[in-house]
Amino acid sequence: MKRKLFVVLVLVVSQFAVAMLVMQLNPTLEQDQSEEIDVVNYIMKADQIDRMVADHSKFEILQQEFETPQAVTLACLSCHTERHHEIMANNHWTWDRNEKLALRDSVVSVGKKNILNNFCIGINGSEKTCSRCHIGYGWEDKSFDFTDKGNIDCLVCHDQSGTYKKAKGKAGYPEEGLDLNLISQSVGSPKRENCGICHYWGGGGNNVKHGDLDEAMNSCSREVDVHMAIDGEDMSCIACHTTENHVITGKVYALSSEDKNRVTCVQCHTETPHTDKLLNQHFERIACQTCHIPEYAKANATKMVWDWSTAGRLDAEGNTIHESDADGNHNYLSIKGTFVYDDHVKPEYFWFNGLADHLLITDSIESIPVQINTLEGSYNDKGKDCATESCSKIWPIKVHRGKQPYDVVSKKLVQPKLWSPNKGDSAYWTDFDWDNSIEAGMKYTGLPYSGEYDFVETEMYWPLNHQVAPAENSLTCTSCHSSSPDSRLANLNGFYLPGRDRFAMIDYLGIILILLTLGGVAIHGGIRVILRKNCLHDKK
Amino acid sequence: MKVYIYKVFERFWHWTQVTLIIILAITGFEIHGYYELFGYREAVMIHDRTAWAFLILIVFAIFWHFTTGEWKQYIPTLKLVKEQINYYITGIFSGAEHPTNKLVYNKFNPLQRIIYLGLKVLVIPVMVISGFAYMYFNYPNETYQLGSLDLVAAIHTFGAFFLIVFIIAHVYLTTTGHKPLSSIKAMITGWEEMDEKEAREMIVSEMEYSLQETKRNFLSEKDSSDFLDKALEETEEKIGVKKENKFRDVIANSGAGYFKIGADGLFVEVNRAWVNLYKYESCDEIIGEHYSLSRSERAITQLDETIAKVMKGETVEHGLVIRKCKDGSVGYHTITMTPWKQDEKIVGVEGFILDVDSSQAAKMEWENN
Repeated sequence: MKRKLFVVLVLVVSQFAVAMLVMQLNPTLEQDQSEEIDVVNYIMKADQIDRMVADHSKFEILQQEFETPQAVTLACLSCHTERHHEIMANNHWTWDRNEKLALRDSVVSVGKKNILNNFCIGINGSEKTCSRCHIGYGWEDKSFDFTDKGNIDCLVCHDQSGTYKKAKGKAGYPEEGLDLNLISQSVGSPKRENCGICHYWGGGGNNVKHGDLDEAMNSCSREVDVHMAIDGEDMSCIACHTTENHVITGKVYALSSEDKNRVTCVQCHTETPHTDKLLNQHFERIACQTCHIPEYAKANATKMVWDWSTAGRLDAEGNTIHESDADGNHNYLSIKGTFVYDDHVKPEYFWFNGLADHLLITDSIESIPVQINTLEGSYNDKGKDCATESCSKIWPIKVHRGKQPYDVVSKKLVQPKLWSPNKGDSAYWTDFDWDNSIEAGMKYTGLPYSGEYDFVETEMYWPLNHQVAPAENSLTCTSCHSSSPDSRLANLNGFYLPGRDRFAMIDYLGIILILLTLGGVAIHGGIRVILRKNCLHDKK
Repeated sequence: MKVYIYKVFERFWHWTQVTLIIILAITGFEIHGYYELFGYREAVMIHDRTAWAFLILIVFAIFWHFTTGEWKQYIPTLKLVKEQINYYITGIFSGAEHPTNKLVYNKFNPLQRIIYLGLKVLVIPVMVISGFAYMYFNYPNETYQLGSLDLVAAIHTFGAFFLIVFIIAHVYLTTTGHKPLSSIKAMITGWEEMDEKEAREMIVSEMEYSLQETKRNFLSEKDSSDFLDKALEETEEKIGVKKENKFRDVIANSGAGYFKIGADGLFVEVNRAWVNLYKYESCDEIIGEHYSLSRSERAITQLDETIAKVMKGETVEHGLVIRKCKDGSVGYHTITMTPWKQDEKIVGVEGFILDVDSSQAAKMEWENN
């Protein structure tokens, strides 16, 4: 009896204890959601003090009758005497930046001023409409004076009355009849609406370009954006895109390539935000965004495909056509061609190390689809060998696929002239003649054009950073660690991912060995049993 | 007949290993993507913790193997490998005897030795090393980093399949013992059921081993009585008998001759083996006789001295003595004699004798002459 108790104690109880020890359920996932999130370099909304330091309505200079918007700017600068130097060095003003592109030796000029994309292609020849999003007045063509401080538009960013609006096709001038006294006296730090008017509406419509920057984010739920949710932290853009002396942190890879002046999750959340060590280790190879932005375009659809080659179809009366899909998004416009919109889009995933290359208008096309902004990075770009401080990580990317005109002889993308207020000015949107518009655009840009064009498939890559989901909606392990074709990383090959990858040879070999062993046992044991039953097996 | 084979730690180690390997296999193949049971995250966490538990167990097991000398069980040998294989292929079906017996100092048959050694020095280390590499060196900013998980994953997976194969074969082969469940019962209780022949051989070998140890000790010229007491105790414990009570019974069933002589020099007790060795018909002829009848006149002084020593409390072992049988012929045996105590008082001597091969004895006699 005593011995039996001892056996039970030593074997059963100890095994139970060992099993319980290793099988204990891990409570950290639950903790992650219930615990207050630890952040650095940020004051939580509850602790913020919003105190007005200057009441601009009391300033006499803002009570004058403003003849022009430039007069407002000069009034601003009469107190903020040196700020224009900061503005004039800012990319929002220059639309130009000298960058060293990945894999290129020389520094090149990259900016909205001269780079092509696969949305509205480029501004050259169409500045008067594109510069509606320029923080200046009067950029109609190349003659615009970037050194005239009076042309700075302070109001588009600083208006807090909500009434300031730039006019369409007026080179950045505001609409007629605005109350500039009310507007100028309302000024304050930029709010979401100020940034959003351009950053939401880039590409000609709400949420068209980024997919994760949507007008709906002015007032959204936690599910759409956990940071900006009105019932949550209600953060403004500049809460993360911290700004000193008009140097605004954060740049988009559609235009910018060097890995500097970025905004990161880490600046508030640190490199070890999870209570779970294993999740923190994922930080080494996975961008935060990958798990925490499981889908984008959550409130409104974003443009996924833009095919210029079908543009120009007019109805019987020669009028332009507008066609929409079932959700009410354009899927055909005579001036722009065919579109595909999508909402709640799952990102595509790429290795990315923070460096990008750009196809300059002078670069030849080497492969199709043309990569307009190639994201650098690979699985092997890691550890001591990596090209950047952060090494390559898996990033969620919105890929915008286009089909746009190129010069078939020189094998280069071309810049068509798109916009003009008048017909017969070679602008495609009024005349619907590609040859003329390309010739005019290239001539304006100062580049040769062979006279032969065709359309080529292009891709643009937009790393996703916004519309971060609440923790409970993040990706889970098997979103990636799964052999299912639905695995988020099903197409990101070249490395072994546990749960997704197997070596078929080893699996087959292993299973065959197991089956052979089981078969052997069955045969061997079977013979023993049969012989025993037939009494051939003498007990002695 | 049951013999104590597996010590407490050994059983704890074995069954903990079973538990941990099963948990590792279940979670491991879930991580591998074969099924969903705990959920991927839990599977990884459990696999991770179990791996650590396994590592700790391995450290203890290594310590135990070296401090107890059990590691010698795993020294590979090719002796009888062929016979063992033949036994499993053919002999087992016709009820042949096991070609090797389970002995305390030789628990494993030669195939087991090779397989278990392979597990210990190859499979388990490879699994541990590849497993920890898998867990900790796949992060590129560590000092040591793997180029890719490919190789470790391949090795680790193959090792896992191999272990499954091992478990299947291992569990099946436990049914080939004395009775189908006797091996498993032995690993649970420590006591293995054996047939008597096997058990007797085991005990004899155990005693032989003890004698050899004793001899080694005598050669080192130290006072050996403490050691002998201890060795005897250990032996008794190992072969699963309780001191005093069962010692005699076990001896009675073994091939060794047992005797007990009172302080007056008269035989109090002898066993059947003793009677046989001395070529008597029954014990009655011996009991009550003086011990001098067991030796020739020439050799009796030596026995007198030995008994005198033992009566003083020593345990004495003789390498080889010549006995005088009933019919006047001679035989050879080794002898171990210890005090016979009652209430801590020495009231006589007792001991056992082991017959010695006559050719060996002849050689020794020749040397003496």
